[in-house]
Amino acid sequence: MSPPSSIVFRTGNIITTGRTSLEKSNQELLNSLRQNFEDAASRVTSEQPSWIEAEGDTVYVPRIEEPDGLSEERTEYDITVKLFYLPGVSVSRRKDHTREALQNVLRELRVPSIDLLIISFPNISFDAEDHSPDTEPTQEEVDEWAETYQALEALQLEGQIKRIGLSEFGVARLVKLLPRTSIKPSVDQINVRDCCVVPKPLIQFAREQKIELLTHNDCTNILPSSALQGLLQENHAVFGGLGNINPQWVVKYTAVIQDRGVVENKGYFAMAEAEADRL
Amino acid sequence: MGLLSLGTPLTWEEARPYADLVRERGIEQLLNIWKKAKSKERDILLWGDEIEYLVVSYDEDSKDARLSLRQAEILKDLAHDEELRKAGGCVPSLQEINQKPGQRVPTFHAEYGRFMLEATPGAPYGGMLRDLLTVEPDMKKRRVIAKQHMTNNETPITMTSFPRLGVPGPFTQPYYPPHGPIARSIFVPDEIINPHIRFPTLTANIRSRRGSKVCINLPVFYDEKTPNPFKDPTVQYDLSDYPEDGDVRNGAAKDGHVYMDAMGFGMGSCCLQITFQAKNISEARTLYDQLCPLGPIMLALSAASPIFKGYLTDIDCRWNIISGAVDDRTEEERGLKPLNENKYVIPKSRYDSVSTYISQDPGFRPEYNDVDIHQNLPLKQQLLDGGMDEPLAKHFAHLFIRDPLVIFSESIKNYLVENNDNFENIQSTNWQHMRFKPPPSAEDAIGWRVEFRSMEVQLTDFENAAFSIFIVLLTRTILSYGLNFYIPISKVSENMETAHRRDAVLSEKFYFRKQVFPPRYANRSGKGTSVSPGGSMSNTPKPVELGPVEDEYCLMTINEIMNGQPGPDGFPGLISMIESYLNSVNVDVETRCELARYLDLIRKRSNGTWETAATWIRNFVRSHPEYEKDSRVSVAVNYDLIKAAETLGNGEGKGTSLWKGLFEKR
Repeated sequence: MSPPSSIVFRTGNIITTGRTSLEKSNQELLNSLRQNFEDAASRVTSEQPSWIEAEGDTVYVPRIEEPDGLSEERTEYDITVKLFYLPGVSVSRRKDHTREALQNVLRELRVPSIDLLIISFPNISFDAEDHSPDTEPTQEEVDEWAETYQALEALQLEGQIKRIGLSEFGVARLVKLLPRTSIKPSVDQINVRDCCVVPKPLIQFAREQKIELLTHNDCTNILPSSALQGLLQENHAVFGGLGNINPQWVVKYTAVIQDRGVVENKGYFAMAEAEADRL
Repeated sequence: MGLLSLGTPLTWEEARPYADLVRERGIEQLLNIWKKAKSKERDILLWGDEIEYLVVSYDEDSKDARLSLRQAEILKDLAHDEELRKAGGCVPSLQEINQKPGQRVPTFHAEYGRFMLEATPGAPYGGMLRDLLTVEPDMKKRRVIAKQHMTNNETPITMTSFPRLGVPGPFTQPYYPPHGPIARSIFVPDEIINPHIRFPTLTANIRSRRGSKVCINLPVFYDEKTPNPFKDPTVQYDLSDYPEDGDVRNGAAKDGHVYMDAMGFGMGSCCLQITFQAKNISEARTLYDQLCPLGPIMLALSAASPIFKGYLTDIDCRWNIISGAVDDRTEEERGLKPLNENKYVIPKSRYDSVSTYISQDPGFRPEYNDVDIHQNLPLKQQLLDGGMDEPLAKHFAHLFIRDPLVIFSESIKNYLVENNDNFENIQSTNWQHMRFKPPPSAEDAIGWRVEFRSMEVQLTDFENAAFSIFIVLLTRTILSYGLNFYIPISKVSENMETAHRRDAVLSEKFYFRKQVFPPRYANRSGKGTSVSPGGSMSNTPKPVELGPVEDEYCLMTINEIMNGQPGPDGFPGLISMIESYLNSVNVDVETRCELARYLDLIRKRSNGTWETAATWIRNFVRSHPEYEKDSRVSVAVNYDLIKAAETLGNGEGKGTSLWKGLFEKR
């Protein structure tokens, strides 16, 4: 059996692809991947018989066509990228994964940098309705966050990202992580459902620390491996030879024309490792 | 209300010979602006609302609420307010430029009715979502400032129509008898007209051009003790001061209806209008078309005017009243007589629903423009020769079938192609439910704009903010997702009629497009089947084959349009689309929560949890102990209703239970 190779799945720009935009982010990701596979498969020709392609160690599904990029000057846009580290993936790999995920976005949008990179750690969630104090994070957790965070600080210093964002961090988590950072996060993104119950201490703390509290509606487990497995089985002829497939990260990007509030580009990449002898 | 140029206005007979000249110059001015501004790009989103107020005057001794006619004095007082002036607000002539956002002080304008005020934010709102949180405070500030410049017994209210406008006996403060020489109305005095010379001239010239008084008949709401059949008892048949006094003897007043005969009944109504700046001409055309089908939906949802001339009527909205109130078409043009002096039979009033789409988007199909409209063909040719494309030339050529109603002799002498006065003369007296607005001049910083005009003003600023913000968010959602709301334009007009019916928001259905997302590609493989790479799949994607236009839309309730239909293939609902848009952009917690309140109002008005202002007003009257169940809104009932509207307008009726049914208090 050959060593695992990485597969990067991509949705392309999904902002105008219809109903999937109304779904929760996990459904949106799966359904837009499915749509993009179908579209790519329908475009194969005798000169270009395959809709997947290997580039070095990475297989792109579907293969990368010349990306359109953005239609206006870079300065017109607010580009936000949210990176989901997935459960069961070694923390030591996050540094590489972060760079890899960001590179895919930069290439897709044809930009040298983005404005905000928000990271989402696996297995932590924020429940605004839960008035019990945040559970005190373990030292091990804090160490992991701090290690990961350094990768973002490096990217910021290199000028690839302007601001760093966290997600699902309550006061208890922030208090532990902040002393371990040299560049403070600018954003904390929390899941606020229809209700608007955000704990006062968090609002207060965020204000003091000049951290902007943003809302999101993403789900906690954005790409369970079973869901990806299921999607690939629909394309059995292409992916039938895959053994175990292990999603490593998911990244969501949005490019918004700032002065007009119009979303021009939105999409996902997901990376998984697989036994790839038939790909 | 368009331009308020000063000068010597011509009577209709004097103006008539200049009509062609004004139109030709108007088209020349339009072409000049269009040529230079058509390549304007990357304008930012700026937008503003316009709120109109009725100024009421209480007589506490007789427990009466009347219309105050002190508009001019109030505006003068506002103009002299030093503090406001320093901050750059008040009235437009005094406005200073370079205002910083956040320091904006509202601007007040005169309106047709001498009992009305219009107020706009001093500077437009920007495109950031956070800016939306300034809308409601700005509206509240306007109300407070307006009130500060009124006497103790006066107050501004945001009620679409004044219930007792045109009743026998006093309904204005001070009282003037009706039947003056300008409107010649048997119900309202000329003194209700803004004395600025433009307005009396407009009134008189509409009547002269038409050859009779305007004529509006609203079906009465039959209550338990309403005489049946109802014959409007306030109509006087025996007057003979003016030739128009014969109108009613020739059947102008219909049985079963409340009859009205003056421009003031319509133009005395208050609306909530929203204007957006688009990034370029093409986006403006897209927004114009896409918001067009929303016009009637938002009219029904914002319905707020069930009472006219002292009677509960069987309609909920003002739109058709204004339409009739400025209908200057002659009998020939209305198709009542064979064409002789006039060129066209014109199916609609100058104030009516849009009749032609103008965008060149790929989603547009020629079948959507299914109404044959008259166009001023020589002027259209001029536009085409100037390089304008067919759909836009057609739009303007359609507006330019109308005559200029008010011509100032000075503007005939002082013509400059660089101005826009002749163009605006026609453009701003075409009151369709959307307005496509070119930049004011070729050099102007202001870009291409679109005005959304159908909504009725709401009793509170919370609601006015909610409706305004809903429309703004909808435009961002439309542009982001490339939504397509096209239905044949004739169906939009049908919807407009439907929207007027009593409780249309809950009991009527409206034509609406089923698939609003942009089309995906054809020849998709079936889900769950495998796709063989290199297999004999087709090559380039083909657009989906277009089916019959009739299959693209169906009848939906407003609840379905806003909140969605069940099932994976049901219409998803505009609110979930907006929420999905909000989930795609960075929104801070506070903004998201405030926006949720506004969207909740729209959601619950649509599903019947909360009442429209029209229903609320109707119920208020019908449950009033002094209401005699005969459809009449007496002095006493009106007084309490206006007081209630005032209380709601100030702090959403805090400390009372008036708001119950309308919305949820924070």
